[in-house]
Amino acid sequence: MRRLKFAAVALGLCLPAAAHAACDFQNTVPVKSLTAAFEAWKAVTASMAECGNVRSELDQEFRTKQPAAFAANPALYDIGGVSNGTVVPLLNAGTIRPLDALIGKYGQQLQPNQLIKIDGATMAVAMDVNAQNFIYRSDILQELGIAVPTTWDDVLAAAEKIKASGRVAYPLGATMKPGFDLSLEFVNLFLGYGGSFTRPDNTPSIASDAGLKTLAMLKKLSAYMDPEYLVSESTFVQKQFQQGKIAMSNLWASRAAALDDPKESQVVGKIAMAAAPQAIRGGKSATTLWWDGIVIAKNIPDAQADAAFRVAMQGLGPQTVKAAPGAVVWLIKGYAPGKLAEGVIASANGGAPAYPSNAVMGLVSAVIGDGVADYLTGRKTAEKTLADIDAAYLVKAREQGLLK
Amino acid sequence: MFVAPSMVLMLLFIALPLGSVFVQSFHATQPVYEVVQEQACTPGFLATNCVTETRSRPRRDAAGVPVTTTAFIGLDAYRALLQPEAVARAFNVGGDGVAGLLSIDFYAALRFTLTFTLVTLPLVIGLGLLLALAIDSLAARYRGPLIFVSLLPFIITPVIGALSIRWLFVGDGVLTGVIRAITGSRLSMFAQGWTIELLMLTYRVWHATPFAFVVFYAGLQTVERDTLEAAIVDGASRLQRLRCVVIPHLVPLITFVALIHLMDSYRVFEEIIGFSSQAYRISLQYLTYSLLNPDQTGNRAITRASASSMLTMIGIVVLLVPVVVRTWRAQRGGR
Amino acid sequence: MARARGASLAAARRQPPALRLLVGIGVALWAVVATFPLAWTALMSFRVPVDALSSRPLDVLLGPASRAAGAGLSAIDMLAGVAAMVALALLPGWLGARAASRLAPAGLVRIGWILAVLTYALLAGAVLLVALPAAAAALDRLLAPVWLLGHLAEPIVGITLEHYRAVWIEHAFYRNFENSILITLGTVAVSLTVGTLAGYGLARAGGKLSFWLLIAALVFRALPHSVLVTGYVPFFLASRDLLAPFWSAPGLGAFLHMFSAGPPTLYGQPLAVVVVLVSINQPFTIWMMRSFFDNIPRELDEAAQVDGCSHFGAFWRVIMPVMWPGVVTTGLFAFLLAYNDYLVTSLLLDAQSQTMVPAITQFLNRDTRASDQIEAIAAAVSITAPLFLLVMAFQRQIVSGLTQGAVKG
Repeated sequence: MRRLKFAAVALGLCLPAAAHAACDFQNTVPVKSLTAAFEAWKAVTASMAECGNVRSELDQEFRTKQPAAFAANPALYDIGGVSNGTVVPLLNAGTIRPLDALIGKYGQQLQPNQLIKIDGATMAVAMDVNAQNFIYRSDILQELGIAVPTTWDDVLAAAEKIKASGRVAYPLGATMKPGFDLSLEFVNLFLGYGGSFTRPDNTPSIASDAGLKTLAMLKKLSAYMDPEYLVSESTFVQKQFQQGKIAMSNLWASRAAALDDPKESQVVGKIAMAAAPQAIRGGKSATTLWWDGIVIAKNIPDAQADAAFRVAMQGLGPQTVKAAPGAVVWLIKGYAPGKLAEGVIASANGGAPAYPSNAVMGLVSAVIGDGVADYLTGRKTAEKTLADIDAAYLVKAREQGLLK
Repeated sequence: MFVAPSMVLMLLFIALPLGSVFVQSFHATQPVYEVVQEQACTPGFLATNCVTETRSRPRRDAAGVPVTTTAFIGLDAYRALLQPEAVARAFNVGGDGVAGLLSIDFYAALRFTLTFTLVTLPLVIGLGLLLALAIDSLAARYRGPLIFVSLLPFIITPVIGALSIRWLFVGDGVLTGVIRAITGSRLSMFAQGWTIELLMLTYRVWHATPFAFVVFYAGLQTVERDTLEAAIVDGASRLQRLRCVVIPHLVPLITFVALIHLMDSYRVFEEIIGFSSQAYRISLQYLTYSLLNPDQTGNRAITRASASSMLTMIGIVVLLVPVVVRTWRAQRGGR
Repeated sequence: MARARGASLAAARRQPPALRLLVGIGVALWAVVATFPLAWTALMSFRVPVDALSSRPLDVLLGPASRAAGAGLSAIDMLAGVAAMVALALLPGWLGARAASRLAPAGLVRIGWILAVLTYALLAGAVLLVALPAAAAALDRLLAPVWLLGHLAEPIVGITLEHYRAVWIEHAFYRNFENSILITLGTVAVSLTVGTLAGYGLARAGGKLSFWLLIAALVFRALPHSVLVTGYVPFFLASRDLLAPFWSAPGLGAFLHMFSAGPPTLYGQPLAVVVVLVSINQPFTIWMMRSFFDNIPRELDEAAQVDGCSHFGAFWRVIMPVMWPGVVTTGLFAFLLAYNDYLVTSLLLDAQSQTMVPAITQFLNRDTRASDQIEAIAAAVSITAPLFLLVMAFQRQIVSGLTQGAVKG
């Protein structure tokens, strides 16, 4: 049977591509896109591909390629997938085009909250909102009689109980890989403790009371994680969940669908979502809100931009939501929020701020992502770690011209 | 005339970029930031968040291209890397000595790169030599397949080789299971620095030994029979023959392999990526790479990356000098 | 007398039993260490994720979940497979020479060999991909009802080709394969042409200049590649603007217009990457080639020149024929460099012109499902297979090439 199927697929290769069923028009201009690679992007690029002549590159490391590729003339990609962090270099370099005219032509189905406007001009179109929110094994918490934690101290207490029960290998998972992942964990907690990264004159203030509290909390949490937590990124945590090795994590909402996928998960139906815990009781949800969306390159002919935007609108159309309703919290018309969206909505209602995106924050995030591991591995004290992070920021900010 | 095309290529694609990197390490190119009031609207769920705030934004010219300035900054980039004040502080009274030194990225990278290079070098040469002698002593019909098998770790794509070893050890990998069963501990290979370093060293020895082996093996094929036979007639033991005839014959090859290995292992980079060791161990080339890599918002530290490449280069030249001088003397003496 | 001496020499060379045992164990151990990671990786690529990522080695070996998913190999299948492999391995020995001479058009034996190899590749493909599965399945069906023998027809080892199908068909990995081939062959060809000329020039010139050239080459060889790539990226991205003056220059511009209407963006151009890889590989190539040429006596080309050959004629007609083992060895190293390169190709090529090795990190980076990871493994195995064949074919030349003198100085 399997062999037959294989042969059939091999045969299918020889046949011309099937008709483009789900696309409203036949695209004739070759269009290229570069985006991240999580489920939502897989769904969007699959819809775009229906229009024909679309080549999509999905790569979690897209952020290192995108600025240079869009700066080339002609740009190497027409459509870029961005989030509130990664849109900044494109905006700063002026390599993406205002979309208002194109929206007037092809963007009737867009809703007002999908438009990212800078000084009135629409520079990007969002498709989803995403956040790291609290995902937990409802069966374990229920069985052990633990209420859903609302603060990080509650999480520690719950982790202790779960550890004592021996139900899972490690009570907690977290995205702690140095670089972007680790820096985001720090940023979420730091903002939760009411910290602010820089003063109005762009000088650093990471070495602060909030910084010390954040480091202390990260260290306490890490005691309940897999000892290899410093190589763990979102996919690693997702697999830990799927294999039933962890019980709680503050993980991206966009990963939740995979935890409920019977093809690879052993914990289908045992997962629930809640608002990201607060750092201070009664404070804000300690997480940041992100959006993902598309931009169109500036350095391409107008006709090509036209085709690219039309294709992108297909990608952000209702058929994508229909194909992957649970992939993420869509902003697209026709989306009905399900169980997997509860955490993001609760976090947003809990006062979680949007992730601050600007050139200064890029530097802050980079030095934090490089520096925090030194404390967790025990190479430096908390005070020294924070002082070194501030110093590294100063060097970078001077180098970039943000400080004199 | 024959050399011309090769020269042109090397000048254009090696010397020229090198020169530009050298110049860049003394100059800083920065966008000109202006502070503006900006209204930005971003999506929330079912609502739009609009905020007006003051922020720093690069100034752009009429064509929409960011304005940049370039300034000569002397040795600032080198100072930022080497941090002489911090080093002095570490070794002064009240400083924490070597530990303090190694908390600075550059020195940590230098420490690891040197350890990596100097520890693997004798291992690779020793193992390669042993293997060559062993396989050379076997019957001809075993040699072919054994050479084939031995070459595999060398020809395999380095990134894939590193990954294939990582897959054996990461998390509940099959060999981690074996180690746990033997030692009875719950050791996680990727949870502390020394195990990762050990894995990286092991991988490099695994990868580089075959090259040493095949070169030495080729060398063994040209040992002069007459000299060997004369040695046997003189009653030399196996060890004496090895020491007095075979090894001297192989000395130029050992130098050759040492040279190539020094250069290649000093460049260590794939292991850092393959084993995701950034939190615990970084190398000099990785330092350059990470400085070059744009962060979330696209900032690259080009000046410091250039300075770090220049320092890396000085390092390899220092390492190579003894070997080159030796070769040069030998060539002189030989002629 | 002479015979007695020979016997005593042989006796002195023979290893004592303890040493032989040690050598045997050592070599066997090495053979396991050298192959295990690769073999295990290959095994994982044929299993469904649950088996491949299992912490129990037996699951990876036997693949129970893969078998439960509906596909497995029975003892008979495996026997048939082994038989087919053995037959295919022996075939060239039996028929190779005869087939080559039969296929050779008008006595051109070399072309005959090439045709024979192509035929063999086709045959092997047909047998392994079509005939073998069909025959094994038929055998299984035939034997299944038979008492006792029926057990041999039951699948015992789970296997799935799903990930290879996903990699090669769904993700169109063959495009990356084409790019890899283009870049690798281009690099080998240009590298050898330029390098052979330079090596010959350096070996014959002598003198201070060539000494310093070689030292410079040595330093260049030692440079971390990231340093160089830093220099290339901005130029490659902006080349369209930077090269524009050449296209508008009088004379030269008209010449360049014959090739393309405007200057190209070098980023994403396989040919530009070929030039970069050739340059990076030049130092090593000219060192290798120089020491090969050093081993060829000067008298040889002098003799040729006396016979009326030009300098270049001497090089081509007299020296090159002696040089082939050296060229093959150096070419192999160029092949490995280009085929295995990650840093240069990942930074200078875009998705459309990407080679296989950087493409694999794309699989890893999109790794959001367990099956993505196994697809990355299947892609890794696919990349390794050609290298495997290459070494099998050229192993003897590597050793003889190195023996001949590439490594004498």
